[in-house]
Amino acid sequence: MSLVAEAFVSQIAAAEPWPENATLYQQLKGEQILLSDNAASLAVQAFLQMCNLPIKVVCRANAEYMSPSGKVPFIHVGNQVVSELGPIVQFVKAKGHSLSDGLDEVQKAEMKAYMELVNNMLLTAELYLQWCDEATVGEITHARYGSPYPWPLNHILAYQKQWEIKRKMKAIGWGKKTLDQVLEDVDQCCQALSQRLGTQPYFFNKQPTELDALVFGHLYTILTTQLTNDELSEKVKNYSNLLAFCRRIEQHYFEDRGKDRLS
Amino acid sequence: MAASLELSCWGGGWGLPSVHSESLVVMAYAKFSGAPLKVNVIDNTWRGSRGDVPILTTEDNIVSQPAKILNFLRKQKYNADYELSAKQGADTLAYIALLEEKLLPAVLHTFWVESDNYFTVTKPWFASQIPFPLSLILPGRMSRGALNRILLTRGQPPLYHLREVEAQIYRDAKECLNLLSNRLGTSQFFFGNTPSTLDAYVFGFLAPLYKVRFPKIQLQEHLKQLSNLCRFCDDILSSYFRISLGAFSCVNRYQQQIDFGEVHSHDSTT
Repeated sequence: MSLVAEAFVSQIAAAEPWPENATLYQQLKGEQILLSDNAASLAVQAFLQMCNLPIKVVCRANAEYMSPSGKVPFIHVGNQVVSELGPIVQFVKAKGHSLSDGLDEVQKAEMKAYMELVNNMLLTAELYLQWCDEATVGEITHARYGSPYPWPLNHILAYQKQWEIKRKMKAIGWGKKTLDQVLEDVDQCCQALSQRLGTQPYFFNKQPTELDALVFGHLYTILTTQLTNDELSEKVKNYSNLLAFCRRIEQHYFEDRGKDRLS
Repeated sequence: MAASLELSCWGGGWGLPSVHSESLVVMAYAKFSGAPLKVNVIDNTWRGSRGDVPILTTEDNIVSQPAKILNFLRKQKYNADYELSAKQGADTLAYIALLEEKLLPAVLHTFWVESDNYFTVTKPWFASQIPFPLSLILPGRMSRGALNRILLTRGQPPLYHLREVEAQIYRDAKECLNLLSNRLGTSQFFFGNTPSTLDAYVFGFLAPLYKVRFPKIQLQEHLKQLSNLCRFCDDILSSYFRISLGAFSCVNRYQQQIDFGEVHSHDSTT
């Protein structure tokens, strides 16, 4: 969004309170959604739960195309549509809810840095695994990505997306990486997160922030998604405090509220 | 300690040992960790290389990309991070990710995509360092690579428009600079009194932005307002890269050797 449009949206956002019928759109849960999109969607859901804002999840096959930035998930609040965790956090802040207000400047810098770490390493590794690892692509991704569409559209869309992701991987220098190197990067990232978390309940001690929501989204999805092999989830399972962290958030924000159990 | 380590990288100017961010990161880390690196600056005898510069060559290995080179140096026991705690090590990774995601697109844009800067400063400088006909091809290729990287990581499919992302990437970069400045505060280095990997990365990204003279300088202006970051760069330059224009030792007139503490650079502008 351009700067003017963003300022405009912020102003409109500040004018109205959070409505009851806010909805979050993602792809079809059972057949279509992929690991990385599921992680992003879960992160947003966790964030909104932590802010105590009601949200209804709606699954649509063309969610990716409906989104203003081409990425899922996006939320439809009042008459505005906002996509991706970063802008959604800003939007929610304009409405007066924020999880990171209590942090000082240095902590805010750290929070932003760790969020970029998750995006840089974990998300990119997920995309690599989904789209550049031939075994996963053949068995899972292609079939899932195009499943709501008839032949030949399903194949065309899947190949187009794969080409796009491969271009991006090449541009950032991940094109030549092997799967083992990618898994090592995931391990490094998890190690960094584990060391930062330590024995605290959340990353910034007592209160969860958007960083906790993002990390939860990615780690929970990695742990619970069935892939061709278990190497990715094994890397996460090595760190017991991360497992405890995921369990804690799941219990506190999803089960206790009486919502459907996350599948 | 036994293997001789040779680094092939881009040369210096404007008071810097290297104008290229990634080369500078490796050079700074080598100084911090005490690795005896023989620096071969790319010059008119260079015939191009398979990998991307900077490249570290030892007797049996060729390593490219700063992250891998730093890992290799660490394995050879040249470790600038051994005094860091586990949490500080984790913070290092996180801040490096922040630099790459938020600051790097704007730095690439300032150097390689912004037409005034590219055609008046960057392209002539890089073209002057390498022989013909590479000088005609390589700068263009690097510029296209930079544009590609910015658009693919920040642009929105399916139509990638540069104008839409320009404002956003500069805003992110300024925010990143503010965050770094907040984090550094009044300390000499990011983690205590000895420099580490994070200092090498921050120095590598900031110093070219700080020192190179560009026509279009909005990001540079912002950086100059953050006095602790400027002081950080100047401190490292004066302590680890003392530039003496007079004394140098060279094997032949096309090769520059950088011995520990003495740097010779042909400074074309001041």
